[in-house]
Amino acid sequence: MADTAVRRPAGAAPALRIAPRTLRVLLGFCVLVAWEVLPRSGAIPTLFLPSLSDTLAALADGAPEYGRHLLFTLRAIAVSMAVACGLGIGAGLLIGSVARLRRIVQPLASGLYAVPLVILYPLFTAWFGIGPQSKIVFASLYGLLPCLLGTIAGVQTIDRQYLLVARSLRATRRQTVLRVLLPAAIPTVLTSLRIGGALVIVGVVVAEMLTSAEGIGYLITRSRTLLDSPRVFAGILLVVAMVFAFDGLVRLLDHRTRHWRLSTRSGDGGA
Amino acid sequence: MAGKATPLPEAPSPGAGAPGPSLRALPSRNGSIRVTGLEHTYAAAGRVTKALEDIRLDIAPGRFVVIVGPSGCGKSSLLMMLAGLVAPTAGRIVCGGRALTAPDPDLVGVVFQEASLYPWLTAQENVEFPLSLRRVPRAERTQRARDKLALVGLAGFEDRYPHELSGGMKQRVSIARGLVQNPPVLLLDEPFAALDEQTRISMGDELLRIWEQTGKTVVFVTHSLTEAAYLADQIVVMSARPGRIVDRVEVDLPRPRTYAMMGTPRFAELRQRIWEQIRSQADG
Repeated sequence: MADTAVRRPAGAAPALRIAPRTLRVLLGFCVLVAWEVLPRSGAIPTLFLPSLSDTLAALADGAPEYGRHLLFTLRAIAVSMAVACGLGIGAGLLIGSVARLRRIVQPLASGLYAVPLVILYPLFTAWFGIGPQSKIVFASLYGLLPCLLGTIAGVQTIDRQYLLVARSLRATRRQTVLRVLLPAAIPTVLTSLRIGGALVIVGVVVAEMLTSAEGIGYLITRSRTLLDSPRVFAGILLVVAMVFAFDGLVRLLDHRTRHWRLSTRSGDGGA
Repeated sequence: MAGKATPLPEAPSPGAGAPGPSLRALPSRNGSIRVTGLEHTYAAAGRVTKALEDIRLDIAPGRFVVIVGPSGCGKSSLLMMLAGLVAPTAGRIVCGGRALTAPDPDLVGVVFQEASLYPWLTAQENVEFPLSLRRVPRAERTQRARDKLALVGLAGFEDRYPHELSGGMKQRVSIARGLVQNPPVLLLDEPFAALDEQTRISMGDELLRIWEQTGKTVVFVTHSLTEAAYLADQIVVMSARPGRIVDRVEVDLPRPRTYAMMGTPRFAELRQRIWEQIRSQADG
């Protein structure tokens, strides 16, 4: 354990020093305990907050149904994510590297980004029906903008020296985009992927909650209408789990590209 | 293996260790540079500025030429033109007997100012990069990059990423990358400007060693008078705006150059002469 620079009076200090990681786990644990204890003790009506164990029981009870709806939601997320991130990053690379194009598209896209796109969803259900298509279109558009804007910005911040080197080596336009622009933009692209991906999940779930006959969002809304709180919270738990899983995935990507970030000095082992 | 690779006897022969004094190999392509009537003007803020005027250079193959001048004299622009990266407004650049109008990595290798390595590639991959752009087979490019890294004294550092290397090591990798396609000409744009004094001097020695081993024509841009006098066969002194060549100084210090030479009267004389040229321009 490396010592911190600040010297504290001997005695009191060591006991208080807890690793952030431990603290994080502890915090999560406290929330779970509170979730169980508060409704059980009657401090919070179970209609507002069913206990953790009741929620898990509801989840286990309705497992096949939850599974089916979860699959529906995940499929919509996967397709939307592919469209939003693929199109966003691809178009972002192109637009970011062509100055004229950027001057046209960037203000439009950032203006559109500020619009609460959810107002368009009723329109999408009219156009694409209440099936998965409308969710995919909505969530794709929702996640596309941050991906696009982030990638455009990422291309802008690329060290011009990198491009000069490529030019001095007579790299073709294709080679320059794929082997210099893309890897150089990766740190910014990852950040926008994180935001865009999270918005895709939000987009799909919100769309399901508004108008749908399937999906986790739909289950949450339906259970709420029936005042079945444990099942509402079971759905919420699943959404939270999805977001955590996504975040973990991005973190993994982040770790694999740590060399991009020049300032960090990772150890040789890599672990 | 070496089928279509041009037979350059430049790598130290196996087992021979360090080659004797000045074992200069002759590159197959001629590394001569001839610049005539070169001019560069650019428009900025509604005004046309003349950056370079009437530049003439005649550099014989294998020479070490240092271009020195105050900042803003266009010496870096001149180098970028020699690299084919910037088109001159007027004039002609003939390199290796051919008119140079676009970057030609087979003819001219470029080492840029600091941090031009790609941070997402290892040292080895950075050096291989020019070869992979031209689809050189993997085995050949691994070998060639490895050889060049060894030449610049970085054997054993192949798998390091740039951020794991010191400033001097990064520039060694840049030099290896500039040499990997075996161009007869190597251009360096203030390559050691960001390094500390000690590293700078030892990198100068390294560059001289590499130059003597490979016999390249070297054009080196710097603003350091000491560096210029220490490294060059010939120093080209430039004035500021418009950039013109005001002096050409033949450096008659014997080779190999040593640190002790910096203390000699001749060295001081050379520095003095360059300094006066630059100062008189600045006053005028």
